[in-house]
Amino acid sequence: MALNRQSMMSALLVTLCLGSALGVIYSSHVCREFYAALQELEAQRWASQEQYSRLLLEHSTLASPHRVLGLAEDQLQMHAPNVESTRVVTR
Amino acid sequence: MSRRPSSAPKFAAWRFWVVSLLLLTLCSLLIGRLVLIQAIDKDHGSEFLKKQGAMRAVRLAEIPAYRGLITDRRGEPLAVSTPVVSLWANPAHLTDSGRLDELAAALNISVGDLRKRLALYGDKQFMYLARHQTPDQARRVLDLKIAGVRSEREYRRFYPAGEVVSQVVGLTNVDGQGIAGLEKAFDEWLLGHPGKKRYLKDLHGDAVRDIGVVTEARPGKELALSIDLRLQYLQHRELQRAMVETGAEAGAAVTIDAWTGEILAMTNHPVFNPNSRAGFDYAATRNRVVTDAFEPGSTIKPLTLVAALESGKFTIDTLIDTSPGRIRVGRKMLPDPSNYGEISVSRIIEKSSQVGVTKIAQAIGHEPVLDVYRRFGLGVSSGIGFPGERAGIVPNRERWSDIEKVTLAFGYGLTATPLQIAHAYTVFANKGLRIPLTLLKRSPEQTVDGERVVSEATASEVLTVLGRVTGEHGTAKRARVDGFSVGGKTGTVHKVGAGGYIDDQYLALFVGIAPMDNPRYVTAIVVDQPKGDAYGGGAAAAPIYSRITNGVLRLRNAVPAIEAPTETRLVALGGGQ
Repeated sequence: MALNRQSMMSALLVTLCLGSALGVIYSSHVCREFYAALQELEAQRWASQEQYSRLLLEHSTLASPHRVLGLAEDQLQMHAPNVESTRVVTR
Repeated sequence: MSRRPSSAPKFAAWRFWVVSLLLLTLCSLLIGRLVLIQAIDKDHGSEFLKKQGAMRAVRLAEIPAYRGLITDRRGEPLAVSTPVVSLWANPAHLTDSGRLDELAAALNISVGDLRKRLALYGDKQFMYLARHQTPDQARRVLDLKIAGVRSEREYRRFYPAGEVVSQVVGLTNVDGQGIAGLEKAFDEWLLGHPGKKRYLKDLHGDAVRDIGVVTEARPGKELALSIDLRLQYLQHRELQRAMVETGAEAGAAVTIDAWTGEILAMTNHPVFNPNSRAGFDYAATRNRVVTDAFEPGSTIKPLTLVAALESGKFTIDTLIDTSPGRIRVGRKMLPDPSNYGEISVSRIIEKSSQVGVTKIAQAIGHEPVLDVYRRFGLGVSSGIGFPGERAGIVPNRERWSDIEKVTLAFGYGLTATPLQIAHAYTVFANKGLRIPLTLLKRSPEQTVDGERVVSEATASEVLTVLGRVTGEHGTAKRARVDGFSVGGKTGTVHKVGAGGYIDDQYLALFVGIAPMDNPRYVTAIVVDQPKGDAYGGGAAAAPIYSRITNGVLRLRNAVPAIEAPTETRLVALGGGQ
């Protein structure tokens, strides 16, 4: 009887041991998968940042005061109002 | 009949035992070795072997970190880090490669140059082929798949506003460290901290597989400046234009919001392009507004006026006889442009009369004047922490000659930077409070504590006089701005050369406050060596002030003082904040 319990115990421990070993294998596999996903995301971030800074530069080039002034004066014939053409609107 | 074939081998017990023994010995040898490595031998055991293995295959790579963005007060980018790719190679692997022609063509250099560089770095493991390529350019080279050519991710700094704000923002070196201007001053803040990752490499040094991140890269923090790019551009444009018109060597301008101590614009001539390192002139990176200290000349007279008013011996209406238009101090004769006769203290400042100021200085002595200069922050650095900032000199002599006591009162014998002079004038706009300056944006809720340096009454009297300088009798009629009343003070200073003052070389100065009914914006203009007859502060510097202030007031939504018309018209008044 005692012997039986002991062998049951060792069988259980062996199973648990094997289970945990398989668990280790599985978790390291999952870890690798996650890391691959992370790398993909990082590559995406890099690409987005590339695009972001390119757009930022593009935007600030297009919106530079120099360009805006040139367009306003040359193409649209605009000018800053002088005092004579200014009226103060008070509420 | 069942009989074993005679040819069948006979079971030989001894052979069985020999083989078993052999296998057992081998097995126990293996087990022994295992035990030795795992448990007994500490020096050359498992730890040691693991380390040796890792040394041969595991490498740490840097994860580049993003350097913080620098923006103006409205969020316009002034310095942006963009991802770029640097190409490098192991010269030892590349030299024997038969594809150098192809590589040189892709890199846009001659094969000869490439060979020369390979020879130069022949005994090294690493050499850059091309740094800071755009990702597209680099991809073209990498797509050739030439053995030994590798890439590395980096960031490169771009300055969208270019030369307009170059001296203020400064620049970084090729490795992304700030080396000038605010890039240097706030390097710690902007700096990204690169992370580390572990990877496995193969025999050729190529990365086979990433193992994991050791430390995450931490990007740098953003920096919002007090500079308003629109004002900065306006000031830049007007200053450059004036440089051409006056034929001046150099120039500087600064505009301060006196209420908050924020520097709204700060420009210089000559300028440099921070986006191009070719033909780079380091002298042009100088931000003259903070690095050039000179004798402030007549622009300091309002401070002398403070000392005069505080002495109780003068009011702004006290009459002083300035005839015959010159005065002898020691061995030196100090002249006025003409004989002004008996004029008020106020008029002395309006006309910038040397004789008048000399008489005031002789009446009050030099100590009160020195005391006022110190209280207004001359001789002390402004605290904005700009690299290379000068504090100027306020002399502290044992003995003062008669002429030194007098010249001190009209701005000779001491030095100050344009920023210090402008800062001193903010006191008059702030009713006697001196608010610390900053190049960083202050949040609207943030209250700034000023230090009282003069009484409100004195400050307002000086302000009145400054308003008259642009008036009918003043020296700065050309500083006027349509629709607004402005005040200020001109200055014309002889430049100092090897043998003392140079007769025909001047600095033309103007410092102004606007608008006078609600004083807020202080602008200082320096024109270095204007050519021709228009060399004075009133002729060379005041018109620049007028044009800049016109734009400042419009862009900052100041309300012009104009009569309401009978007809009603709707007119827009400039932009937002």
